[in-house]
Amino acid sequence: MTKQTSLITGVIAAVAILTTAPGWADVPTTSFGKPSLEGQWDFKSATPLSRPERWKDKEFLTAEEAAEYEQGIVERRASGAESEGDVREGLDGQRDVDVGYNSGFLEIGTNIDGSLRTSLIVDPPDGRMPAMRSEARERNAPYVAMQGESPSGPEMRSLTDRCIIGFNNNPMRSGAYNNIMQIVQSESAVAIHVEMVNDHRVIPTNGGPGVASSTRFWKGYSVGEWDGDTFVVTSSNFKQNATPYGTGPNVKMTERFTRMDEATLQYEYTIDDPETYEAPFTARQQLRRTDDDVYEYACHEGNYSMPLVLRAARKMEDDGTANKDWMPSWHKR
Amino acid sequence: MVRLIGLFAGFVMMVCGLAFPTNVLTHHAFSSEFDADRPFQVQGTIVKVEWINPHSWVHVDVKEDNGDVVPWMMEGGTPNTLLRAGLTRTVLTPGTDIIVRGYQSKDPDCEPKCRGSGRDITFTDGRRIFMGSSGTGAPKDGSDPTEK
Amino acid sequence: MKAKLLACTVASLLVALTGCGQGGQSSAPAVQPSTPAGPPDLNGVWQALGSAHWNLEGGHAIKGPATAVLGALGGIPAGHNYVEGGEIPYTDDAAGKRAEYRAEWNQWDPAVKCHIPGIPRQTYLPLPFHIVQGDNKVFIGYEWGSNSRIIHLDRPGTRAELPSWMGYSVGRWEGNTLVVEVTDQMPDTWLDATGTHHSEALKVTERYTPMGDNHIDYEATIEDPNVFTRPWTIKMPLYRRVEDNARVLEYKCVPFGEDAVYGHLRRGANRNEPTVKNLF
Repeated sequence: MTKQTSLITGVIAAVAILTTAPGWADVPTTSFGKPSLEGQWDFKSATPLSRPERWKDKEFLTAEEAAEYEQGIVERRASGAESEGDVREGLDGQRDVDVGYNSGFLEIGTNIDGSLRTSLIVDPPDGRMPAMRSEARERNAPYVAMQGESPSGPEMRSLTDRCIIGFNNNPMRSGAYNNIMQIVQSESAVAIHVEMVNDHRVIPTNGGPGVASSTRFWKGYSVGEWDGDTFVVTSSNFKQNATPYGTGPNVKMTERFTRMDEATLQYEYTIDDPETYEAPFTARQQLRRTDDDVYEYACHEGNYSMPLVLRAARKMEDDGTANKDWMPSWHKR
Repeated sequence: MVRLIGLFAGFVMMVCGLAFPTNVLTHHAFSSEFDADRPFQVQGTIVKVEWINPHSWVHVDVKEDNGDVVPWMMEGGTPNTLLRAGLTRTVLTPGTDIIVRGYQSKDPDCEPKCRGSGRDITFTDGRRIFMGSSGTGAPKDGSDPTEK
Repeated sequence: MKAKLLACTVASLLVALTGCGQGGQSSAPAVQPSTPAGPPDLNGVWQALGSAHWNLEGGHAIKGPATAVLGALGGIPAGHNYVEGGEIPYTDDAAGKRAEYRAEWNQWDPAVKCHIPGIPRQTYLPLPFHIVQGDNKVFIGYEWGSNSRIIHLDRPGTRAELPSWMGYSVGRWEGNTLVVEVTDQMPDTWLDATGTHHSEALKVTERYTPMGDNHIDYEATIEDPNVFTRPWTIKMPLYRRVEDNARVLEYKCVPFGEDAVYGHLRRGANRNEPTVKNLF
């Protein structure tokens, strides 16, 4: 090989390496040299958390299969919405009050995750949630049972009914609505603001000590550090019933934020609680950049529902009609 | 057919958080506020709309058959969805006549107003809103396959 | 010749790729420059001291509703007067309303209910807040109530479609000062615990100017022609929390405010006697 040829070969090789390495190309960076995590991020997803039975041995969909699946959702939703206005045969009012308001208020994902995976869970490798231990179910049962009772006061309603925490953050996960968050970033801290119940965390980037085991927060306590181009956040010290995924007091959650390109933020979280799940599990989602705003969600300020629920409980007690029917009917299954 | 049921179950599970155990299944419990045995259908005029969280409330003056006007307030969903779709100014403006179906509160005393779930809303000319196709001015709820 | 062409092609590719990798900031409109050295760095954990949240106009120490239960730990301390000119310029109607509120303030004060206090009161409630300063946005996370807001540096002249409890904040740099205009606040908040109220017309202009590394000069000008006869300004220092690993902790106050809001609806209570006023 001549000197010229080997030089050119070397240059081509270097270009090939550089263009395939992560962090190159079009990842926006901050003025202090870290990847930018900033922006509004949409975390709606039509990809299920756990791999469904029909995709048992299939880790990825093809682009065609994904398009077909998405089209199916859209069609079913359209036909479901059309028939919403008609009285459905065989359905009773209980179903209507279980999910009471019309579809216009919902913002449910219709797009499969950009990875085309058949589940958000990437570990265990079968894409399924590990089993929950029976002791953990027993530990969690009173919180659920309590909500079925006629509430003597607001403490007998869920933390979300009380507007203390939301149900789609920490970790962030696609639900019925408010699936949007905003990140603002400086060299010393990353602020994550999730719309539902206005919840935010400001996480310093220098690691830092944790807090004593007896110190508990509704949002847990998060510390963060950059690991190369990934911002890694470790959280623990959650209050009871405010833990992620029904875990217990010693859960550790690790989140990893990696900016992939202008439009994509990869969000991964690992839930580790051997007292609750037989194995740790990790979910990963590609969040999409959006120009939509995160709006204020002043929950407690507008919570007409709580006094309505309590007033109803008092009324039924007065009338002698008090019952244990205070949960949506799907809880009875 | 099996696939249809599977997908529908998936939809319900996402909405209701059933895929997740225990404390995650915290979809707001309308069933604790409203009585499935008290369905209603009323027609009235929008007085005001409270675009608030966790749920919006539409205040409607309902005209009874005997001519009485009874004030109602109907519970909807988070307004943030409609804000993102740019709809809060254009739908449900005060002075508009609407027909509302829903379920009345477990506390049926209308103090200070009757309260109900706003299960669906129709204009008096038969146009339904929030019923699916974005052609009727409904927000992007995924039902229009040409929208992304 | 061929080799030269190939080398040129590869070289131009390299140049193009190098260009792509550099600081691709978002495509939002550029924020105007502040000083030649760039904007000051307001990042960190800050806190107001003093008793502005009790009473902007100051005065001597008095008993409060908590004194009965907490004794000497439950008094309302003496305070400086943070109002430039010394007096809040209420209209006659507003002064009358304020006196009514003040006489039973803990039954009316939205903060007792754990309602979001809005701006400026959220700034000087006695718990810290964390400023996270990005290029196009400034985020502030407050410990009291776990409330927060976003200040848009890239949306001059805009307003919100609907009011909110924290209002809508648009910011710009003027030299060394972050100037924030807050509009579209819900009318239900107070500026202190003496009944200093406002209407939906409230506009607040805040100015954050660093004084050395560990202090910020905070000023807020209040304008509301429905309630005040003219604009008026408050001024106080903000102090950096300098302990190692200073963090904003959590004060989610809903569990503490529930008795005030729902106490009368508990089993066994008299539901016709709420402990606070102004409930829905």
